[in-house]
Amino acid sequence: MAVERDAARHGLAPGMTLADARARCPDLATLPHDPAADAALLTHLAKAMHALTPSVTPDPPDGLLLDISGCAHFFGSEAKMVAKATEITGLSTIHALAGNPAAARALARHGTPAQRRAEDVAALPVSALDLGEAATTALRRAGLKRLGDLVTRPAPTLAARFGEGLVLRLRQVMGDVAAPLAPQPVQAPIRAEARFAEPIARTDDVLEVAEDLLRQVAAQMEQRRLGGRHFALTLHRSDGARRRLLVETGQPTRDPPLVVRLLRERIDSLADPIDPGFGFDAITLSVKRADPLDARQTGLDQSEETQDSLQALIDRLGVRLGQDAVLRLAPADRHMPEAAQVSLPAAELNSSVSFHLPAMPRPLLLFDPPQGIEVIAGVPDGPPLRLRWRGAVHEVIHAEGPERIAPEWWRQRGGHMGEGATRTTRDYYRIEDARGRRLWVFRRGLYDGMENAPSWYVHGLFP
Amino acid sequence: MRRPMPVLAAGQVHEVHGEGDDRAAGLAFALGLGTANRQGAVLVVRGALRQGLGLYGEGLARLGIDPARLLLVEARDAAALLRAGLEGARCPGLALVLLESEGPLKGYDLTASRRFVLAAERTQTPLVLLRHAARPQPSAAHTRWQVASAPSLPLEAPPGAQVRPPGLPMIAVEALRWRGGPAGQTWHLQWDEQHGGFRDTTGSLGGTPNRNENARTAPSGAVLPMAALRTG
Repeated sequence: MAVERDAARHGLAPGMTLADARARCPDLATLPHDPAADAALLTHLAKAMHALTPSVTPDPPDGLLLDISGCAHFFGSEAKMVAKATEITGLSTIHALAGNPAAARALARHGTPAQRRAEDVAALPVSALDLGEAATTALRRAGLKRLGDLVTRPAPTLAARFGEGLVLRLRQVMGDVAAPLAPQPVQAPIRAEARFAEPIARTDDVLEVAEDLLRQVAAQMEQRRLGGRHFALTLHRSDGARRRLLVETGQPTRDPPLVVRLLRERIDSLADPIDPGFGFDAITLSVKRADPLDARQTGLDQSEETQDSLQALIDRLGVRLGQDAVLRLAPADRHMPEAAQVSLPAAELNSSVSFHLPAMPRPLLLFDPPQGIEVIAGVPDGPPLRLRWRGAVHEVIHAEGPERIAPEWWRQRGGHMGEGATRTTRDYYRIEDARGRRLWVFRRGLYDGMENAPSWYVHGLFP
Repeated sequence: MRRPMPVLAAGQVHEVHGEGDDRAAGLAFALGLGTANRQGAVLVVRGALRQGLGLYGEGLARLGIDPARLLLVEARDAAALLRAGLEGARCPGLALVLLESEGPLKGYDLTASRRFVLAAERTQTPLVLLRHAARPQPSAAHTRWQVASAPSLPLEAPPGAQVRPPGLPMIAVEALRWRGGPAGQTWHLQWDEQHGGFRDTTGSLGGTPNRNENARTAPSGAVLPMAALRTG
């Protein structure tokens, strides 16, 4: 679909078959096409272009149309503005400037560098009209190769022969008819600011102002039916220093007291406390991320409130201890016991997935990694008779097993025939010692008569 | 006469002591009794623990506790542990707040435990402090327990096997302190897989050796019927 600049030098081009490309360049690196990622990047770039002009229209799959009327002088000249735009994208791009969007698009997509520089629309090939393969071939057969050839022909004749669409596109490119754009609307940032004649210094005063600002942004968000997820409070000290406090919530919210509580938590848990100096003379609050949040009716049953209070608890603990310290367990579709579950930050895990009830007994606590032990077993592949763990000897009174858990050969190099397949097979035993402690131990590897004897580990504790 | 079963009353603070190697028993006791008949999330705050020993979801599911109910918090130090526990006790709608710590817990004293009691009373959430390898110290706790693993009733040996498989989870529980309850007694509790929850098997085991030599023995002749304790 697309090739790098280096590849283009080797003679590769979009639209080539893979076998052809491999023949030209044997060590070719290929990646599957990811339209979703491309679209996301285009949206992202369109947003970034708002730094240049408020009117940006994405032209999928790989173009952006910028209306720069009245904007270029901010950057000195059009050339400088183009350089700036290229710098923002960070990609190798082709650009064209023209008096109307249709012409600019045609020049960028179909023009040669010389044509783009001269804004010579008339010299463009007829394929620049984007009418499709059939119409373009028909035009070529009629001897009409360039747009300039079409312009000199009377429009009614062209329309009669090639359709109304051709004439419209032609006039759009030539600038006779408007080619309206549908630019992405610019979302005004959600923010509020307070400036003080006299600097304030007390934390309580700061939080009071913050609550007032939160009420203002809540009103802004309510109009747009949004709720904030990331809030940033910036304290401008009178000597120019700035301090920024960030809080995140698991659910979008417009509730000022809740965010103030989180801010208070954040201030309490700061490693180096806020130094007011001679006081703050301005405070700004901005919402960095907002998600849709419709007005909600409070229910009659309590379950929703309980859910809310749990969410608030997760947020408070997350702000205090870090989002990574507040976790939930989720099952993972893996074979090895230690990989069969993952801990995910509770703020990100919205839907809780239920664990299925295991058929075999599983321990309540699991060692990760398993702890090595020394074992005396009666028969080589039998349950242990006695084991030494952390220096203490445990006599095995009861034992159950083995439960064989084979390694995940589909994840290993070489598959089930691979090197470590038999050496990492585990035989699990549930054992009970004389004092009634139940352990989950396993033997790693199989007895094969070779010198590498299997090793034993404790992997879990049963109640 | 029926002896009362151990309970972890709602709106109170309970302390569960155990040796370091018996932590699974203490955890099962706290989770099994603490979440009995209670809906909602379980907040587990773990701090100052030996690294690398984590709660295992499938094992919890075997004990009848849906792992999805669990909210795990990893506290860096004792202060964070107590603070997170207090936040949890103040949050309405939780089934249980479980704090797990190992060794001496700095900052946990009469004042801190009284603070827990006040918070738990308001929300009617039981708060259990699971202390491994720690010495009991004065606190405002309602109950204090010493929990250890106990030998289980082994299952029938499968044909051809020399040893019998271990049976259902079994724990030995001693009430070190129980306000208005039979403090000082000892129970052998067996996990009931059919109904969930523990049932008392003290005395019905015959010659079960008492794991703790110092533990007070159960009253003689107390052969007990099954306690009808069920979990939701």
